[in-house]
Amino acid sequence: MASIILFVLLRLLPGDPANALVSVGADPEQIAAARRQVGSDLPLAQQFLQFLSSLARFDLGTSFVSRTPVLEEILARLAVTVPLTLLSFALAVLIAVPLGILAAVKAERWYGATISVVSQLGIAIPVFWVGILLVTLFAVNLRLFPSGGFPPQGWSAPFEALRALILPVVTIAIVMSASLLRYVRSATQDVLGSDYLRTARALGSGFSEALVRHGIRNGAVPVVSIIGIELATTLLGAVVVERVFTLPGLGSMLLLAIEQRDYPNIQGVLFISTLLVLLIGFFADLAQRWIDPRLRERAGSVQQ
Amino acid sequence: MTRMRTRNGLHLLAVSVTMVLVGFAQAEAQEGAADRSAVIRIGSLYEPQNLDNTAGAGQGINEAFNGNVYEGLFQLEDSGEVVPKLALDYETSDDGLTYTFTLQPDVTFHSGDPLTSADVKYSIERVVSENSKSSRKSSLSTIAGVDTPDDRTVVIRLSERSISLPYNLTYVWIVNDEATDLTSSEDGTGPYKLDAWRRGSSISLSPFEGYWGDAPANGGVTFNYFTEATALNNALLTGAVDIITSVQSPDSLAQFQDNPAFVVKEGQSTTKEVLAYNDRVEPFNNVKVRKAIARAIDRERLLSSIWGDYGTLIGSFVPPTDPWYVDLTNVDPYDPESAKQLLAEAGYPDGFTFTLETPNYDPHPIVAQFVQSELAKVGITANINIITANEWYTKIYQAHDFQATLQEHVNHRDIVFYGNPDFYWGYNNPEVVELIASSEASATEAEQVEKLKEANRIIAEDAASGWLYLYPQIVVSSAGVSGYPVNGLNSQFFAYDITKSAG
Amino acid sequence: MTVFTEPQVDPARRTRRSLTLGIGLLLVGLHLAVALLTLIWTPYDPAGMAGGRLEAPSWTHWAGTDRLGRDLFTQIMIGSRIALIVGAGAVAIAAAIGVTLGVLAAFATRYLDDALTATFDILIAFPTLLLAMLVVAATGNASLLSAILALGIAISAIVARLARILAKRVLAMDYITAARTAGSSWPSIVFRHLLPNIWPTLSVNFALQFGLAVIAEASLSYLGLGAPPPNASWGRLLQEAQGTVYTAPFGAVAPGIALVSLVIGMNLLADGLRDVGDPTRRRTR
Repeated sequence: MASIILFVLLRLLPGDPANALVSVGADPEQIAAARRQVGSDLPLAQQFLQFLSSLARFDLGTSFVSRTPVLEEILARLAVTVPLTLLSFALAVLIAVPLGILAAVKAERWYGATISVVSQLGIAIPVFWVGILLVTLFAVNLRLFPSGGFPPQGWSAPFEALRALILPVVTIAIVMSASLLRYVRSATQDVLGSDYLRTARALGSGFSEALVRHGIRNGAVPVVSIIGIELATTLLGAVVVERVFTLPGLGSMLLLAIEQRDYPNIQGVLFISTLLVLLIGFFADLAQRWIDPRLRERAGSVQQ
Repeated sequence: MTRMRTRNGLHLLAVSVTMVLVGFAQAEAQEGAADRSAVIRIGSLYEPQNLDNTAGAGQGINEAFNGNVYEGLFQLEDSGEVVPKLALDYETSDDGLTYTFTLQPDVTFHSGDPLTSADVKYSIERVVSENSKSSRKSSLSTIAGVDTPDDRTVVIRLSERSISLPYNLTYVWIVNDEATDLTSSEDGTGPYKLDAWRRGSSISLSPFEGYWGDAPANGGVTFNYFTEATALNNALLTGAVDIITSVQSPDSLAQFQDNPAFVVKEGQSTTKEVLAYNDRVEPFNNVKVRKAIARAIDRERLLSSIWGDYGTLIGSFVPPTDPWYVDLTNVDPYDPESAKQLLAEAGYPDGFTFTLETPNYDPHPIVAQFVQSELAKVGITANINIITANEWYTKIYQAHDFQATLQEHVNHRDIVFYGNPDFYWGYNNPEVVELIASSEASATEAEQVEKLKEANRIIAEDAASGWLYLYPQIVVSSAGVSGYPVNGLNSQFFAYDITKSAG
Repeated sequence: MTVFTEPQVDPARRTRRSLTLGIGLLLVGLHLAVALLTLIWTPYDPAGMAGGRLEAPSWTHWAGTDRLGRDLFTQIMIGSRIALIVGAGAVAIAAAIGVTLGVLAAFATRYLDDALTATFDILIAFPTLLLAMLVVAATGNASLLSAILALGIAISAIVARLARILAKRVLAMDYITAARTAGSSWPSIVFRHLLPNIWPTLSVNFALQFGLAVIAEASLSYLGLGAPPPNASWGRLLQEAQGTVYTAPFGAVAPGIALVSLVIGMNLLADGLRDVGDPTRRRTR
């Protein structure tokens, strides 16, 4: 259903995908040839049928511009985007969870308050600016890390590949952790004021013990769903970071494809990313049910 | 005792001096000695979209493949000279309509097939075929037919004289007629063969063992592609690449200029920044208006804003590396007062308003802002409309639906665009059209040059477009890397002479 | 069932809350003042190429100059105006579309409600930036208007979902039922009871979305899809500065600081408003 809407919407966009193939000096004949190659001269209905039939075979088609299979290109890009997303997420969680809990528990102390203030800063900073600043500091001036690009051999040169990802991962993690931190803090605050915690303490548990045994399980549920959403948006939303560091990721592929009206690429990327988003949502759901057994009975209720 | 010590001391001194001298000699020898097995890593911003220059691959494929992987009957050298390559020898008939080429002997393709005249015929027909998207297709339209009397002889028959045929043939890759998928693989005769193409990242070439000519001076080449100039420069700084083919911003050069670890070379490109008017519509159909605009823009200031000390000012579409170059920078020099006067004479004493279609990539947006500011001083209001490259092709190039636009024109010897009244800027001067058309039918190269120089002058006097400046061609390499081309004509970058010293 | 308790709001917390609100007002007010000022006066002519190329910050040019010699501080000031226009415009559109659809969904039959909710969720899952890109591509050229429209549409889904939940909660309350029985029509209920009730929470959300819209617009401009020159969006200034970051690093710093200050200001304002509006509420996000 979504693909039909997508197909129609894309065809409504002004601009001809054949343009990416011509250059200055092309005459009308060549332009017609480009259209033939791209298939944009076929009647719309025919194009649609072709699209549906190939989708059914899970064949995402070939790019209008580079003539290579879309799926191949997407997989190559995912090799960059998936590690980038997962590593950033891991780093963000490592930063946000302990600091968030600390900020909530020690809200009255100066360091708790400072953490809150810093996180306030973190969500106000545009992620590409963080990237530019990091590049200026580390790559241009200190020359510790590459300022961009991904090694041509990809992951077969793992050390180089990781080195290329360090700055982008830190960039995304800074912003993601700031936002996560606020959720963790608020979830912890909820836990702190909750009845079951008070009960546990009244029954004799130490503060940290109670927090860990009861608090984390309860507080984790909303945080997990937020993490899921953040992960999902980072897949494609990292396009700006990819631009700063010129990483060949999925977001840049989509941006370029939109500019060139490379419909197969656009459709392919959106299709795959929707699939991934659904997968992430599914896993987040599983994680929530695993953490909180109560959710297992209630079918799919969303905690507001 | 003292004497022994002195003798030992002298001995020691002699040995140390010798060692130092030997050390020096070794170091020098090492610095000079090129490592013939070294792989040269080249950094570029122009990744090709596919591997076939008749299928819309873009300028990046010329850079990576011309002369390196594919060769033509002729080759356009970095100096601008056209030299025979796969054509060992050729003759022209007296009427100039028949060219007979003898091919180099013992040439093999990367797949192992031998080069025969059938391959040449196939290659030429590929470029002029209906489906070809080669930008030089129309210049080969005079070819009436290609005959192959024997394996080593190719006869090209023309429908009319075409003095530029050898030049035009430099754009034709000689491809194996048995080759199948040329958009993602190759089969050429060049000194390198394609190892791998990692899309979005790099193209790597390695020397071809069976090459008919001299083996390359290095052990292979990798073109690494970046989408952003800062990243490209940093790659050179951190040693991730050895050369940058063309630096696009002068600010980054500061890091390389006073640094003994790098060498900066400036050549002359063929990329012209053009303010193109739609000469068909008002008010740009009025030559006085066009001349007024030319006089209103301080091009020298613009060039130094964008390029600092680099780049060249041009007074017409013809850059210094074209044979028919004439210095026309004084035709409409910067003079805002005179500009206002001309505008009044043309009937626009209070100026006018127009839309400037601006491509969204550097340097056009900033050039547009400069132009907007300068024109405002003489009363003309320019509204900037940012468009993508894709849109530029549809709206401006094909539909001619614009008033004025900015564009960079990279082609070599492209004055011929002004001889085509249907070209997107719609310049139609019958005298120029006649001159350009007849120049092609010249009997000698001197005649061709004379005619085109005349056409050049007329076009400049007519201020058919605004020629803002000529991009410099700046190539930066690590010290110890040499043998690379600096003019980059037609975006070519011959890699086979590049050497990297071991030290 | 509402519980009325009087929590002990200690003075320290109260001071912190008013401090938050105060700083927020200060920052936003500063930007607003600057934006209004630019309508009548700027230190330099924004298009005027008065200075040298890429000068460092000095007394004559507080933030230095750009490649064409234009004063950066002037550009940043105008950036305030653009940011405020985009933020306000996007939020206004998002509010108009979102509240309408959200309230509609709250009233709607189960199937329509499910359909609408599903639409909201799909739109929310789609990254704002990419949605904006598609809208910009569809409207043809990038312009201030297309950026505002794109962001407005992208944000409206979030607003709609929130409005729907709030509306549902209010609709379930007793006094609504009472009003119905007394004979009030639905429209009058919506305007006299529903909207005033959900408005406080919604407006806090609007303030937060404002900040997000400003950042999103900066990202769009950074990618080249935002308002065209000479509109000096902070995002575009940063993108232009990135190319000259080696010789002129300050250009990459000043616009960013301006942006961050506005967004923080707006967020603090939102936090402060929320606390002031309902001091019994615990600080939950």
